[in-house]
Amino acid sequence: MTFAEITLFLANGFALSLIIFAVTLICGAPLGLPIAFCSMSRFAPLKYIAKTFVWIIRGIPLMLQIFIIYYVPGLLFGRPIFSEIDRYILKYYEIPNDGSILQLLMTNMGGLIAVLIAFTINYACYFSEIYRGGIESISKGQYEAGYVLGMSKSQVFRKIVLKQVIKRIVPPMSNEIITLIKDTALANCIMIPEIIKQAKELAATKALIWPLFYTGVFYLLFVGLLTILLGQLEKKLSYFKD
Amino acid sequence: MSVLEVKNIYKSFGKTEVLKGIDFSLEKGQVLSIIGSSGSGKTTLLRCLNSLEFADKGTITVNDTVIFDGDRKTKRSDAELRERRLHFGLVFQSFNLFPQYTVLQNITLAPNLLKKDTPENNKAKALKLLEEVGLSEKANNYPCELSGGQQQRVAIARALAMDPEILCFDEPTSALDPELTGEVLKVIRSLADGHMTMIVVTHEMSFAKDVSDTVIFMDDGVIAEQGTPDEVFGNPKTDRLKAFLASYNK
Repeated sequence: MTFAEITLFLANGFALSLIIFAVTLICGAPLGLPIAFCSMSRFAPLKYIAKTFVWIIRGIPLMLQIFIIYYVPGLLFGRPIFSEIDRYILKYYEIPNDGSILQLLMTNMGGLIAVLIAFTINYACYFSEIYRGGIESISKGQYEAGYVLGMSKSQVFRKIVLKQVIKRIVPPMSNEIITLIKDTALANCIMIPEIIKQAKELAATKALIWPLFYTGVFYLLFVGLLTILLGQLEKKLSYFKD
Repeated sequence: MSVLEVKNIYKSFGKTEVLKGIDFSLEKGQVLSIIGSSGSGKTTLLRCLNSLEFADKGTITVNDTVIFDGDRKTKRSDAELRERRLHFGLVFQSFNLFPQYTVLQNITLAPNLLKKDTPENNKAKALKLLEEVGLSEKANNYPCELSGGQQQRVAIARALAMDPEILCFDEPTSALDPELTGEVLKVIRSLADGHMTMIVVTHEMSFAKDVSDTVIFMDDGVIAEQGTPDEVFGNPKTDRLKAFLASYNK
C-alpha cells in the first residue's frame, strides 16, 4: 500500500470518528439542558433522580456504557437489536465494496447507533454539569434587576442570563469538545471502524505499525482547527466583562 | 393623599424576625430616607416593597390600591407580580447593570420588551435620561468601561425609564469609592428637586439630612424614630439613635 492509500484508508475511519463527534455534539449539547434544569429543580424527587443519573453516567467508564447499551437488549430481552440492524441492512441493501465511508457506515450501522446512544447520554451528563455551573454562577442581582424592571422569568433568562452563561461556559465546553473527538476512539471496543480500529486493521493484515501512530496527526489537525474556532467564539464574547 | 401606605409589615427568614411591624406612609413628591445600622431590616423592607421578598403579614397600598396583603392566601400570578413591581423602581447597591448590553441598551431593554412605547420613542427617552444623569457620551459604551459612579448613574436612568411612581435606592453609594459618591448623590438630589417620590436607604447622613422630607431610623426590625431631618438629626429622642448618630460623628 502506498502512503496515499494508507492515508485514504485512515481518512475513511476518521470520517466515522467525525460522525460520532458531530452527532454526539448535536444531540448531547441540547439534551444537557433539560438534565441541568432537572438537577437544579426545586422539586426534590426530580432533582435527586437527575443527580443520581448524572452520578451513574459520570461514574462508569464510557467504554463500559457502550458495552451495556450494545449487549443489554440481547441479554435481557433476547433481541440483539443492534446486530439485527446490521443483518437487516446486509439483507436488503446493496453495500459498496470500496472501503469508502459509505461501506463502513452500512456494515456497522447497528453498532454505530449503540455508540451514538452511549456517547450522547454520557456527554449530555457532562454538558449538563457545565450548564448548571454556568447558570448558578450568575449573580442573583442580575435576575432581580430584570424582575424589578417588570420583566418575566423567561425574559430575564433569555435576554439577560443566557448570554452571560454562554460566555462563562465556552472554556469548559471547549475542553469537553476536545476530549470528545479523542473519546471517539472508544468505539473500537465494539469493532466500529473508526480511525484507530482502521490502523489496527492495517497492523493485523499488512503488518504495518506506523499507521497507528500516524492517526495522531488526524486528531492533532482536527483539534487545532477546533481550538481556533472555539478561540474565535471566546474572543467574540470578550466584548463584555462581568 | 399618600402615594404609599405601609401597614404592619412583618417578615421572618426562618427563625430570624427581620421586620417586626413596620408602618409608614409617603406623600407624592416626597423623599424618605431610611437610616439604621446593618441588619436593622432596611434592605429587607425595600425588597418587600419591590416584591423581591414577600412579607408574612401586613399590607402595602399604592395610590389607594392594595398591592400586597399578607392575609391573602391565593397564589400570586407572575403577571400580577410584574404589574405590582412596576409601581416601584429599585437602584441596587451593586448596580447590577447587564454587562452584555451597552449603556443605551441597558436602559431600553425593559421598555422595549414590555412594549412601553415604540422602540424609537423608548430610545429617545433613554437618551434624554442619559443626558439628565450626565452620561450622553457613554451611550454606546459597555458597563465594564465605566466607573462605579457612572454605572450607578446608568442604573438610575434604567430605573427611571420604566416611569416608576416610587423610586427606591438601596445604599446607592455604599459600593463606591468615596470620591465617586458625590456624582451619584448629585443625581438623586436633582431628582428630589424635580419632585420624584423616593425612598433612600443610606449611610450618607449629611445627604439624608439635606435631601429628605422625612427620615426613618430603623433599629432591630422596628421604626425606632421617625420625623423631619431636623427632628431626627437635631433632636434624637432614643438612646439607640443617639448612639447611632454619634458613631458617624467620630
